[in-house]
Amino acid sequence: MKTVILATAIRILIPIFIIFSVYTLFRGHNHPGGGFIGGLIGAIAFVFHTMTHGPQQTVDTFLRLNLYGYPRQPNQSRSLYLMRMMRVNVWRRRKLARHPEIKQRMIRIEPIYIIATGLLLSATSGVVGLIAGQPFMHAFWTDFYIPVLGKPGTPILFDLGVYLLVIGVVLKITFVMSEE
Amino acid sequence: MNHLLIMLPMLIPLYGAILSLFFWRYVRAQQLIGILAQVCLLIATFLLLFDVNDNGIRTSQIGSWPAPFGITLVADLFSSMMVITSAITGMAIYLFSIKGLDKARQTFGYYPVLLILQLGVSGVCLTGDLFNMFVWFEVLLICCFVLIALGGTKPQLEGAIKYLTINFLASGFLLTGIGVVYGILGSLNLAELAVLVRTPVSHPALITMAGMFFLIAFGIKSAIFPLFFWLPASYHTPPIAISAFIAGILTKVGMYALIRLFTLIFVTDQGLTIPLFTVLAGFTMVVGVLGAASQNDFRKILSFHIVSQIGYMLMGLALFTPLAIAGSIYFIIHNILVKTNLFLISGVVAHRHGTFALKKLGGVYLQQPFLSVLFFISAFSLAGIPPFSGFWGKFMLAKAGFEIDSFIIVLVSLAVSLITIFSMTKIWNEVFWKKKPETDPLLNVITKQTHRDNRLLHLPVALLAMFILFIGLYAEPVVSMAQLAAEQLMNSELYINAVLKK
Repeated sequence: MKTVILATAIRILIPIFIIFSVYTLFRGHNHPGGGFIGGLIGAIAFVFHTMTHGPQQTVDTFLRLNLYGYPRQPNQSRSLYLMRMMRVNVWRRRKLARHPEIKQRMIRIEPIYIIATGLLLSATSGVVGLIAGQPFMHAFWTDFYIPVLGKPGTPILFDLGVYLLVIGVVLKITFVMSEE
Repeated sequence: MNHLLIMLPMLIPLYGAILSLFFWRYVRAQQLIGILAQVCLLIATFLLLFDVNDNGIRTSQIGSWPAPFGITLVADLFSSMMVITSAITGMAIYLFSIKGLDKARQTFGYYPVLLILQLGVSGVCLTGDLFNMFVWFEVLLICCFVLIALGGTKPQLEGAIKYLTINFLASGFLLTGIGVVYGILGSLNLAELAVLVRTPVSHPALITMAGMFFLIAFGIKSAIFPLFFWLPASYHTPPIAISAFIAGILTKVGMYALIRLFTLIFVTDQGLTIPLFTVLAGFTMVVGVLGAASQNDFRKILSFHIVSQIGYMLMGLALFTPLAIAGSIYFIIHNILVKTNLFLISGVVAHRHGTFALKKLGGVYLQQPFLSVLFFISAFSLAGIPPFSGFWGKFMLAKAGFEIDSFIIVLVSLAVSLITIFSMTKIWNEVFWKKKPETDPLLNVITKQTHRDNRLLHLPVALLAMFILFIGLYAEPVVSMAQLAAEQLMNSELYINAVLKK
């Protein structure tokens, strides 16, 4: 379903969807919203992108990171090498992307790892209470207030986990269904 | 510490599953995580059992919300015994799966799903909230559906669809029942419900009606008489490691919920429920065992026997004396171990001989005498021959029946035991004693690798047989613990006071 209108609109809409989903995620503690609905809104962006450009393009655009570099020289110190590689990968990406022969390795974020991270965050937000000798999922809040995000506390962690979980599941379903 | 101990039987499988998801592509790592999780789970459940045994019923309020409002976790003796049995079975299944399940299935998320299934079992057993219980049953349903359909062969899909459709219906009934209960009484906390139904203003007729919804829902899930037909149609289709775990645990979890609810909440109209349960128990036993007698496939015989054994557990609930409930509890523990073990043995035999059909099998006694001994122990436990574990469960049930003069159901149960022996001897004769029928020698070549794997598969079977022997020969502590658990179930005040802290 590759139409020019959708393809153009989606380029503008993707950031809006994602920002709005994050906003919904954080307002969810006291108002309607939360991790689940935020995750769904965030996933719409990727679903639309997959609809216009196909799953491979979505993966290449959002879920893949190419790391560039060269092998470490024998007499080069390990920390110096790491620092150089970091600098190369942060500042020189555009330039290096034009030389495919020095591409070293590729980090691909599979939806399953997003799901697992989400689950881990949610479960761990509950365990915090257990470690403090309180029941599972006992909430801990900090005292200070951040303007948009509200008061940070362990339930935010839970919502964040749900958010990632929902995005991961929707991505996985979208990829599987669009490949068929 | 208290809160941690109750949570651990759920947290360990949950974290095991999450870590397994991170190692999605590395089956070796998943196996390692799984075994670690099983060992930790076993230790944690033992600690929980000792703690509950020493200090009485333990509770924990999730998120520190007080009792009738938040979700309560309750660990009494019955639930901790269930959890520990599930942990033992899970351990055996894990050890079996490493060699006994094909690589393709293992790479498609078998290990995380199995751990989440165990999470669901722990959840059902430890929750003290009606709706939460429903949610855990959904977790079980989804995991079972995935496990039965995993691999996607034609018979598997057929079995999975049957399983899912009928269990979906059961979930619908369960949800309706929960809705009705909430509409009548305005609470979902089991302890508060138990208080509310005992007040004079409650509506006994409506509550009995809600109870029937639960009876149908859990009746489907635990395969009691008119509702069991999905079970023999689906349990023999998946590979043996999967069907052994599902067959061993799932129906008994439904039975657990039935016993929990019908001792705690739906006790207002026992003039109706007790005769109903007695009739259902009798028919479940007889129909199950007759179905088993007519089958000629190793796994199908065992599947029908699940139905028959469910009748005994229901019989304990039907007699409704402390001794009878204790008998039921003991029987559930014994049956989970024995049934899983028999399924695993059929898997070991099929791994070596490539078939489950009794006609094509034979001569196992000569080739694998050790396996034959293990089968002998499990089969005679199932039938209830004295030194083994099944005898004690049946003895307690029969004694409880004689004490309140319910002779007919006791006689039925004893007759069913005889037919159980008949089908066990049928398996013994056909699989172990009969000479192996002549087949094409090229058809079933046993390589050295198969031989070695087959020897490793004996390990979980031997582990379970050890536990079966333990609860049979040294039945005293288990029986007295089951009696204590039954006391806790019959005195609902203990449960109510523990949760509501009166």
